[in-house]
Amino acid sequence: MNVPDEHLLVLAAVLFAIGVVGFLLRRNAIIVLASIELMLNAANLSFVAGSRMHSTSAVPNLEGPVFAIFVILVAAAEAAVGLALVIALYRLKQSVQLDALNELKG
Amino acid sequence: MAQLLFYLLSIAAIGFGVGVVAAKSPMQSVLSLLASFVALGLIYLLSGFQFLAAAQLLVYAGAILVLFLFVIMLLNMSDLDALAEHPTLSLGRARVLVAALSAGTIGVVAILAAGAVQTSETTTMPPGGYDRLEWIAALLFSRYMVPFQASAVLLLATMIGVLVLAKRRRGAAAAELEGMRA
Repeated sequence: MNVPDEHLLVLAAVLFAIGVVGFLLRRNAIIVLASIELMLNAANLSFVAGSRMHSTSAVPNLEGPVFAIFVILVAAAEAAVGLALVIALYRLKQSVQLDALNELKG
Repeated sequence: MAQLLFYLLSIAAIGFGVGVVAAKSPMQSVLSLLASFVALGLIYLLSGFQFLAAAQLLVYAGAILVLFLFVIMLLNMSDLDALAEHPTLSLGRARVLVAALSAGTIGVVAILAAGAVQTSETTTMPPGGYDRLEWIAALLFSRYMVPFQASAVLLLATMIGVLVLAKRRRGAAAAELEGMRA
């Protein structure tokens, strides 16, 4: 009994919604970055579900996992840059609360 | 059997995802994220994408999360309360409304769209899973050669950017800043 593809999509939707809630509500920069990673994972899952949906028994569709690999790569790069920004921010403000960033002046 | 395992893993992934969002400290959040990644990797494995499962565990759980933990440990050198929030969620009314509306919209639309999908035929998994490494390699090095090389350039640029951003500024400019702050 195989996993139906629609359930993968529903799981991706729920994870993405949870990531959006975390991104909008939390004030700690590291937790915001973690929510972004959760959203990217949900997108990966939907790529995988689409690949399953469009592959036949003879010809498996591989666009999904290939694109998911690129998404993982870009997520790694973005997490690195985001965390470097958090470090620089902490050096300046001694806090990682996003409320400390309400002025453009350094 | 596979479906039962998938439901258990998806409940775990969703539960740990909520743990990421509702955690009190960034350390708890990142550890919940780790558990969520592992659950998702197992879901990929269950769906027949074993290379993607391995890539997820190696890169996401093994590199990105370690990076998160490094930064949290690094910033924890000084006051611990500087990283925790008082209160746990910043519950401005407008913010909660926006978050609930967007999450609800995304969830409802995506679930409706998922229900309307027509699977072309009942597929059986090819032996060795959907993403066998030789097929992925054939695709990566033929059709997706340009994104592949571009991602190498992206990683180089990211590395240089991170070095520049996280560099401690010494010299006259830094001393001036210290003097202004004191």
